[in-house]
Amino acid sequence: MAQPRGQVRVPADLERVAEVRSLVRQVVGDCAASDPCEDDLVQAVDEAATNAIVHGYRGLPGWLEVTAERVDDRIVVILKDTAPTFDPTAVPEPDLAVPPERRRPGGMGVHLMRQATDSITHAPRPGGGNILTMTRRLDKSAWQERLKEIDR
Amino acid sequence: MTLDTRIDHADGRVPITVVTLDGELDASNFSALVATVQGLYTSGTRHLLLDLSELRFMASSGLVALHSIVRILGGEAPDDTEAGWNSLHALSHDVAGGSTQTSVQLSGAQPGVQRVLDRTGLSRLFVVHPDRAAAIAAF
Repeated sequence: MAQPRGQVRVPADLERVAEVRSLVRQVVGDCAASDPCEDDLVQAVDEAATNAIVHGYRGLPGWLEVTAERVDDRIVVILKDTAPTFDPTAVPEPDLAVPPERRRPGGMGVHLMRQATDSITHAPRPGGGNILTMTRRLDKSAWQERLKEIDR
Repeated sequence: MTLDTRIDHADGRVPITVVTLDGELDASNFSALVATVQGLYTSGTRHLLLDLSELRFMASSGLVALHSIVRILGGEAPDDTEAGWNSLHALSHDVAGGSTQTSVQLSGAQPGVQRVLDRTGLSRLFVVHPDRAAAIAAF
């Protein structure tokens, strides 16, 4: 059985980020993952794509390529772009124990990405740009149920 | 456009404008929502219920929209949309000062949207009612 996998390339346009979310929903849905797993990965990819467009391309034309696939017990989402380097993993984590009025500015989207995933790594893209890789574990019980259904 | 807004009215102890958000609130459309609410305020709305029961997704930019909406209903200018966490500061000050806003109520958040509110601390600043009737009673 082929592993659930999908890929989309869209212009660096906030109006097109919905297509990226749809791709991730489709792949996570094909894995029969839990609703929280789907919500988390959709949140993470949205924030990552939006950051790339707003903080990476900063209005310049470009594209985003997003790949989502199941690898063992995880879903891996990879975003590639050709924007100037923007490493969201270098954005300081806001301390939620600190009242909001004393938190450092920025980082809301990155905070949500971290909350929603098990790992986030950034690497420069050969030839210029960024490669952001995010992983999240599937809900194991849901996947095992899906396997049982396939076996029947 | 991935977000539809429906506007209607309800009578509680005060006249209430109900804005139902249907779809996905993200960086491409949050400023349009803020503009819609700005128009409602100009037309006389002073108590606003945001019905989130049909909202499937809310990005971090949606949080900025929520705070901007609170500012508008308070007669202030909406936030600088680039301000990030800063956009939440004034609201937090309001809460800390014992003047928790009651002009904007939320209802019916789906689990994913509620999770965003919880993970960013916004659920401490807004009352999220289980349904529209409960929210209308809270005005």
